Amino acid sequence: MKEHTPDAGQSPFEEHSRKLFQESVDAMDMRLRSRLTQARHAALDAAAAAKRRPWLLRMGTWTPAAGVTAAALLGAVLWFGLPAGNHGLTAADSQPSLEDLDIVASADEGAGDALEMLQNDLDFYDFSDKAANSEPAA
Amino acid sequence: MVWDVPAPAPRGAVLDQTQELDRFLAEIERRAFRMAQVALRDPDDALDVVQDAMLKLARSYAARPSAEWRPLFYRILENGIRDLQRRRTVRKKFMVWLPGTHEDPDNEAQDPLDNVPNGGPDAPELMMQGQAMEQLEVSLRGLPARQREAFMLRNFEGLDVAETAAAMGCSEGSVKTHYSRAVHALREHLSEVW
Repeated sequence: MKEHTPDAGQSPFEEHSRKLFQESVDAMDMRLRSRLTQARHAALDAAAAAKRRPWLLRMGTWTPAAGVTAAALLGAVLWFGLPAGNHGLTAADSQPSLEDLDIVASADEGAGDALEMLQNDLDFYDFSDKAANSEPAA
Repeated sequence: MVWDVPAPAPRGAVLDQTQELDRFLAEIERRAFRMAQVALRDPDDALDVVQDAMLKLARSYAARPSAEWRPLFYRILENGIRDLQRRRTVRKKFMVWLPGTHEDPDNEAQDPLDNVPNGGPDAPELMMQGQAMEQLEVSLRGLPARQREAFMLRNFEGLDVAETAAAMGCSEGSVKTHYSRAVHALREHLSEVW
């Protein structure tokens, strides 16, 4: 370890100030020395404990950054990964599917009423058509 | 004896890295504490930044060659001191806006060099070591931060120009300039009381 040695070309002022500083260090009271020793041991223990932790736990410090990166990546993949024109509804989406037909034609409660109403509408449209044709032009 | 070049360790006497780090920190901790205390004026704050610097060095740089520890440690320490001083400044600015806090209890707004007596009847008493050191501390606090850092690292800690430059994160030319200005300013303020 390198020792503290004065430079050869130092002025008396610099030597004096260094001497004063070193004397103030030597005169440090025992309470402060003890606290410094405790601080040193605590720092070394904490560093040793951090090294002993499994690498997976040490990754904990990177969790927020990893989360943000993953979210950004997912967003980019979803946005740029789909072909153009697929971001909205397609023609296929607007066609009724067989499942929808099953629901309408199912024998659940209310399905019979719906078909009856549909029949009434047809009768009304038939009547309306005939009435319109039979009226004389004004 | 030449100390700059570390002698090769005898076979079987190589210390464990933790022990070596412990020995290094034990060797510098008191000087580091006093330097932090000079800059911060508060022993508790000084202890905090020294312990924090120890922890960061042990956690992040213990695997580096031991010759690099000293400038690395002081770089961490000076960053810690600067951060704390910055937080104090922000806190002080914020406190000014609160009612009843316009007085500056620490009297930090004043230039510390204003408190340095320019000779006078008390000058002989200041020759006593404790008081002389107090005067030196007050004068050091009055210096710009970079000059104070350069002076303490070069003069108190005995780092050479290259190590000081590494610790301060600047060029060797800047270190020489800061140090020269610091010595000049301190000599000017203390010549009459020393």
